[in-house]
Amino acid sequence: MSNLLLLLIVLPAIAGVVCYFVRSGAVRTFTVTATGAVLTAASLALLGQGSFVFEASGLWESLVTILDFALLFVILYYGFRLRNLLIKVFAAAQIVLLGFFELVLLDHGASVPALMGDSLALVMVLVVSIVGSLICIFGLPYMRKHEQHLKLEKSKQPQFFLYLVLFLGAMNGLVLANNILWLYFFFEVTTFCSFMLIGHDATEVATKNATRALWMNSLGGVALVLGIIWAYTQTGTLSIMAMLAAGPATGVLLVAVGFICLAGFVKAAQLPFQSWLLGAMVAPTPVSALLHSSTMVKAGVYMVLRFSPMFEGSFLSHGIALCGAFTFLACAALAIGQSNGKKILAYSTISNLGLIIACAGLNTPLAIIAAVMLIIFHAISKSLLFLCVGTIEQKIGSRDIEDMRGLFKIMPRTATITIIGILSMLLPPFGVLLCKWMALEAAAGHLFVIVMMALGSALTVVYWARWAGLLMGSRGESRGTEQQPLLTGGPLMLLCASALVFAFTTPYLYTEVLVPAFAAAQVALHGSLLEDAAGGFVMYPLIMLIGLGTLFAVFRALRAKGKESHPYLGGAQVGGMDEGAFLGPMETAVPYSAGNYYLGELFGEHKLTLWINIAAGSLILLMMGGAL
Amino acid sequence: MQSRQGPPILQAFYDVAKLMGKDQMLSNRWQILCCWVYLVAAALAVGMFFARADLLLIFFVQAAGAVFLVMGALSVKSPYSQVGAQRELVQILTYEPLLILVFVGMYLVVGSFDVGDILAYQTPLLRKLPLMFIVLSYALTIKLRKSPFDFSTSHHGHQELVKGVMTEYSGPALGLIEMAHWYETVLILGVCSLFWATSWIWMAVLLVATYFAELVIDNTMARMTWRWMLKYVWSIGLALTFINFIWLHAG
Repeated sequence: MSNLLLLLIVLPAIAGVVCYFVRSGAVRTFTVTATGAVLTAASLALLGQGSFVFEASGLWESLVTILDFALLFVILYYGFRLRNLLIKVFAAAQIVLLGFFELVLLDHGASVPALMGDSLALVMVLVVSIVGSLICIFGLPYMRKHEQHLKLEKSKQPQFFLYLVLFLGAMNGLVLANNILWLYFFFEVTTFCSFMLIGHDATEVATKNATRALWMNSLGGVALVLGIIWAYTQTGTLSIMAMLAAGPATGVLLVAVGFICLAGFVKAAQLPFQSWLLGAMVAPTPVSALLHSSTMVKAGVYMVLRFSPMFEGSFLSHGIALCGAFTFLACAALAIGQSNGKKILAYSTISNLGLIIACAGLNTPLAIIAAVMLIIFHAISKSLLFLCVGTIEQKIGSRDIEDMRGLFKIMPRTATITIIGILSMLLPPFGVLLCKWMALEAAAGHLFVIVMMALGSALTVVYWARWAGLLMGSRGESRGTEQQPLLTGGPLMLLCASALVFAFTTPYLYTEVLVPAFAAAQVALHGSLLEDAAGGFVMYPLIMLIGLGTLFAVFRALRAKGKESHPYLGGAQVGGMDEGAFLGPMETAVPYSAGNYYLGELFGEHKLTLWINIAAGSLILLMMGGAL
Repeated sequence: MQSRQGPPILQAFYDVAKLMGKDQMLSNRWQILCCWVYLVAAALAVGMFFARADLLLIFFVQAAGAVFLVMGALSVKSPYSQVGAQRELVQILTYEPLLILVFVGMYLVVGSFDVGDILAYQTPLLRKLPLMFIVLSYALTIKLRKSPFDFSTSHHGHQELVKGVMTEYSGPALGLIEMAHWYETVLILGVCSLFWATSWIWMAVLLVATYFAELVIDNTMARMTWRWMLKYVWSIGLALTFINFIWLHAG
């Protein structure tokens, strides 16, 4: 047991240090790939061993405390170096609060199990270790190309992979932590890693966005320390298990939970804290993929989910549901106004995280299961899409979706994978849609939440459908096949395959794994959504039919024979099949072009952001006020 | 409405039969894929409706078809088809939330999203959800592509025959789309029928009256713009929804 934990949490840190000091490409490739393989194996082994509680020796406890302060001083140092008042203030506040807590309030005699693994933690470890490793491996050829493109004299890859791999260890530590001070330590490590990774390219805009990420997440850190101290004075324990076991919180303790959730909101980039995650897209693609899919933001929703038993049935719970649903709706609206592929993905991430948080706020067994499933499926689909956009960007030199028109012709394989990735976010029988279905069922009694979910769900369709549609555009046969390095194509194919496989295993996953793990008692009482009265999976016939229908459609499309026809241009077509040009004045050919509707006057970023931030801020005030 | 005699009532079926016998013209293989998925999804949704499945799930399957229709239109390099696809997306954006809210209304009354449970409910839903029926009729008008909301299938360039989202479909492929559209009509009228499921006669009366009202609206209204549609339908639809839900809550 302790060996597995060591592998999951400490090995990435060691591998990162190896990448940093051994500046050879081959060693780096080997280290990152091997670490990915070990993490995957270790996470599966940990799952096989089931739930556990792990006591760490006093040595580890002291080490974490020392490292914690060291890290805070490093952040403070960066605050001075970047001359940012907010970072300085927030870092200093954390040092003072934490010092006061450690020296005055905390009873160092009581022993607290440092780590624990229940179903939620184990699921998270799987997501972090497997999806995260694939992203790191994808990063190897990507960063080589990236640096060729930037024409760097001295490679910065050692530093890049140090933080990238370290990130995975910190995430594993965060989700496995039982001692809430350990949770806080790993929370700070992820903050710092994301800061270093976002600012990696060291351009002016990268530094600016990294600074913003650092001060916002430090604000989250302050909220977390406050929550921890407050909760400790109320419960007298640092053990998360013990706090959860005490049942729903009341009175002042609820405010402490509110602060912890607020820290989760910041980490998950919920409105109005979305700007740091949007800024993160200036970083190289593997970083965006890692931040958006399997780490960082998932840490935020994990924290809200982790503490959901404590705010069950309270006004705080309703407040969280409202905040989450509002984020879901507002970010889906903002995504419509974008043509930058990475920005669409970023807004859609925030939107989906909002849905997860709304589920945590609804706090019924069904909603919690929906949230956990969303974490899994979103991690797979979103990392896939980010990696696709990265691959496309390196080929065509743009991340604008308008420039991806007819991509199928140039990059048939990547385009197909991207289309599948998009559909997996949108259509049955893929998991994300099933989660949305469960969320809607769970929210049905909650008027404002269901209205926001209904509107948000329709907005989602618009930005995904138009993107998938314009990737398809092609005519005739594509130009040969597409060559990809193994470490680029491998992760893409694996993620794509798991998105497809998961679509078919969702009902099994639901009934056999998630219901027993999260809600056995309640579901047995109320019946389960994906099962019919006889105990069979309702979903399977449907999935079979959809699968057969799609296969039939593909078959018909491949076999279709017919005369090639020109697209209709009002009878004024000139030029060959490919060009699509009108006959203009003076017998000249006027090429036609089309663009998406971005509905700017309704969903433009500049029009909405201010109002949305004000509304979201008020909702958070409402949430926190309700806790009081 | 006019004294001329129009085509027979079965003309739509004759048209499709004729389309199916025509030669296939291909702009693009994606289109064939998309029109088949559209048809399969629409048929599946109707099948699920009659198998008394979960309304939300039926709706999602139907929505998958609608999305594929749009993607098919987007995959072709033709301005009419592209414009039609964008407008169709706005139409989807307009009716989707309303349909979900209609289903939620039924859930609030019956306590279940299952068609079977809704059919088993003893009083006509129309009595408890009169405003939601109006909301549904907006969705119906959009889904049937009737004026004032029919802009995704019409856009004229130089000729009147241009048909927006369907511009690039011809022959058998167009026939498939027409058939899928029949399924969608059946599905949405099926949802209407749930509003008076306690008596066969009243159900029939309701459906005939609704369909006739759609024809009257179609023939008396002019086409509007998508901006108008989105703002008008969302605001009226949401207002009606809130009022009706508050009634339910109070009652």
